[in-house]
Amino acid sequence: MKTTHDDSTKDSPVTPESVEQPAAARPKESTWRRLSFDRRIHGSVTPLAFLVAFACFGLWQGGVFLNVPARILDLHSNTPILLLAVSLMVTLLAGQFDLSAASMATLSTFLTVGLVVDHGWPFWLVLIATLTLGVLGGLINGLLVTRLRINTFIATLGTGGAFVGLSSVLSQGSSIVPSVETPLPGWFSGLGSFGTYTTKAPLAVSLLMIVVLLAIAHISAGRLRPTGVSDSTWRLIEIGAAVLVLLIALALRSWLHQVTWPVVLLVAVGVVVWVLFRLTVTGRNIQAVGSNPLAARLAGVRTDREVVKAFMIGGLLASVAGIVLAAQQGSATPDVATGFLLPAFAAAFLSTVVFSAGRFNVWGTIIGGTFLLWVGQGLIVGGLPFTWLPVVNGIVLIVAVASSTFIQRSQR
Amino acid sequence: MRPASSLSLVKLRKSYGSNEVLRGLDLTIEPGSFVGLMGANGAGKSTLIKILDGVTNASSGTILLDGAPVDSLRLRSEVAFVHQDLGLVDGISIADNLRLGERPMRTLGLFLDLQRERSEATKALERVQVDRSPDTLVGTLSPAEKTLVAIARAFARGANFLVMDEATSNLTAQGASRVLNVLNSVVEDGGSVIMVTHRLSEVIQATNRVVALVDGRIAHDAPTATLDRAALALMLAPEAAAAEERLASGPGEVLFRMTGVRAPDLGPVDLEVRAGEVVGITGNQGSGLHTIGFLANRTVSPTHGTVWLADGVTTALVPPHRETEGGFADQTLLENMTLSALSALRLRSRLLSLSKESADAQHMVGRLRVKPSTTDAIFGSLSGGNKQKVVFARALLSGAQVFVLCEPTRGVDPATRAEIYQLIHELRSSGAGVLVLSSDSEDLLAVSDRVAVVVAGLIQHMTPISDLESEGLEAFV
Repeated sequence: MKTTHDDSTKDSPVTPESVEQPAAARPKESTWRRLSFDRRIHGSVTPLAFLVAFACFGLWQGGVFLNVPARILDLHSNTPILLLAVSLMVTLLAGQFDLSAASMATLSTFLTVGLVVDHGWPFWLVLIATLTLGVLGGLINGLLVTRLRINTFIATLGTGGAFVGLSSVLSQGSSIVPSVETPLPGWFSGLGSFGTYTTKAPLAVSLLMIVVLLAIAHISAGRLRPTGVSDSTWRLIEIGAAVLVLLIALALRSWLHQVTWPVVLLVAVGVVVWVLFRLTVTGRNIQAVGSNPLAARLAGVRTDREVVKAFMIGGLLASVAGIVLAAQQGSATPDVATGFLLPAFAAAFLSTVVFSAGRFNVWGTIIGGTFLLWVGQGLIVGGLPFTWLPVVNGIVLIVAVASSTFIQRSQR
Repeated sequence: MRPASSLSLVKLRKSYGSNEVLRGLDLTIEPGSFVGLMGANGAGKSTLIKILDGVTNASSGTILLDGAPVDSLRLRSEVAFVHQDLGLVDGISIADNLRLGERPMRTLGLFLDLQRERSEATKALERVQVDRSPDTLVGTLSPAEKTLVAIARAFARGANFLVMDEATSNLTAQGASRVLNVLNSVVEDGGSVIMVTHRLSEVIQATNRVVALVDGRIAHDAPTATLDRAALALMLAPEAAAAEERLASGPGEVLFRMTGVRAPDLGPVDLEVRAGEVVGITGNQGSGLHTIGFLANRTVSPTHGTVWLADGVTTALVPPHRETEGGFADQTLLENMTLSALSALRLRSRLLSLSKESADAQHMVGRLRVKPSTTDAIFGSLSGGNKQKVVFARALLSGAQVFVLCEPTRGVDPATRAEIYQLIHELRSSGAGVLVLSSDSEDLLAVSDRVAVVVAGLIQHMTPISDLESEGLEAFV
């Protein structure tokens, strides 16, 4: 087989008839079949399905669902889940399942609140201690998996149990609620703080966010370029698209005014993780290990070390999720993040069918996760009891994995 | 054995997107045919086999089996496919492998009839001339025996039409001969065989008809007896350069040395490679040949002895199995090629320079003539020879001065083989040291300055190529 991609014929020395033969004259080759083999199409089918689902909800429920502040509220209050999803994506890219991530988030919430309330530590020290613990937890996971060669499910199941257990030990099994004498810092949690929906990020920050995302889109968009489009034409298309996006953003700046700080933090984490996997040696090595550990080792990658690094980054991000949760809730309740594991995995696996065919990626995780929670919210607004949400999440996880497997198979 | 069915392909076409891979094949295979199917990488062989096997459908055209149209040959008990991946399970016995996926034999519809399964297995093994107990674990068999067990399994299911999809390309010359003998007996009994291979010698040794695909069309179809070897080679390898003249310059300083190196079942190995020198070592499967490569690349640590590299010298490895050890199937050509060179592609900010990375990869695609030529194609979708080129590109980009090449031409077509030989010559003349570890002695004769053979874990007969008659090496392998 030569190849399965349309764009492969661009520079290869193919015989004249394959190029000059008009598409219509080709025997029995339906448009659908041609499209189904194009990798560029695969990545955009799922976002399209999301849009259709979104439109359906809009037609069904009208203004109740198509309500920008309400949808941004969903995004705001689910930021910890999406951060956790990004954490899981990092370890999944290294070929590992980190079942302890949600427990690490829980432990981090307890530490953030508990070290202030029960122990009176200065808040900056609390943040450093919590993030360090996240990294340490990841290090333990990594060493268990690479040094002791313990199956990743078992290792992280065990450490996950330990992390949740430690949070109970810390709180003697109950919630930790700040008191008037030992409050959380005012900028962090409570009215008018980082963690509240009513506190909005300035418009300048939101616009800066959009500019950064446009820059990333510019770097990633090369592969979307259709064959036969010249450099200068493509640049004009890109500039046109960027101007259009900025104009729309300015026109809809009342929406941008709704963006909260946790959402800004989520996007910032997304940018950092994107840079990590696209532009650093460590990120590339982690992906190589996840793709084929043996080949990576033979190509000179220190595979064990990269797996440990992936777990440490994952642990750090899980801690960030826990800290944001502490900010939003203002207290720590037992098992606060435990239920986040399923939707976070669903979001991470959704990324394998968003933007890239069959590979985990950070923007796919964030966008897939966002739509996942909007779909769930739409069903709840439409009358489904919220207790059904885990069922929806479970189904989405399985459908995402199944369609990703299907896409990968059709590429071979 | 009852005579095989006759198979006809009528105007078979297949396109992937705008890429037409098969452009109308017409072919009839009568019972008792032994067809050697040849073609350069990307000529459409694999696609044809996939259509016959029902993995993919033809875009148009018909497949006729004894005159009746069929969708594919899958699920036809009289036709069996033996792929490079034999589909055997190493950890269970031959007898169990032969019954794999079948309903177990039972007595009274209840108890497993192990006795009968065992005797059936013994019979099946006799037919393929494998002198082993049916209780032997498949993992302990030689590659040739494994291939024969896969053939035995096909027989056990009543097949009399075998499609061998590069199933001999991993075997040594003797191993392949053994398999070819069995296939010949199939044909003598009235069965049919289609064998996809890159080795002209196998085609000449065994087949009675040669079909060559070039760019999705049948370019050559004639009895093997009337084969015009030169014309066929030209057809399959149009750009193959004539034998490259060796450069006059002698080897330089020692870049790499192994002293008293031991690993389980190997050694002590003493070996040195100089700048501008190609050292070729051959040996049978299981002789520890590739272990020398892993030791040289320091991916395996020796139990004794030292592996020494000259100051600032690094090694790059092309592993023996490109799918499992070489490539990252879900990643792009770009990512596959630049992995070992990433630290040199960093800017002062420690971030990677995407433009430099893409320029390097694009250069390699051009230099090695990789198809497709877009660097964001997915590695897993490439043909075998192109995968091998991509793994080579990674080694070349890594900036190494010592190249360890394991089975550099395994399963690639003659044109690519010639290109790879050319590449090794270029490395040599650029002053690199090259260690070629290949069970195919043709590789050694084509590129080496010194040759040796590994027997029972020891390197023997290290000889300058000039002292060796061209047939000499075959003699002592």
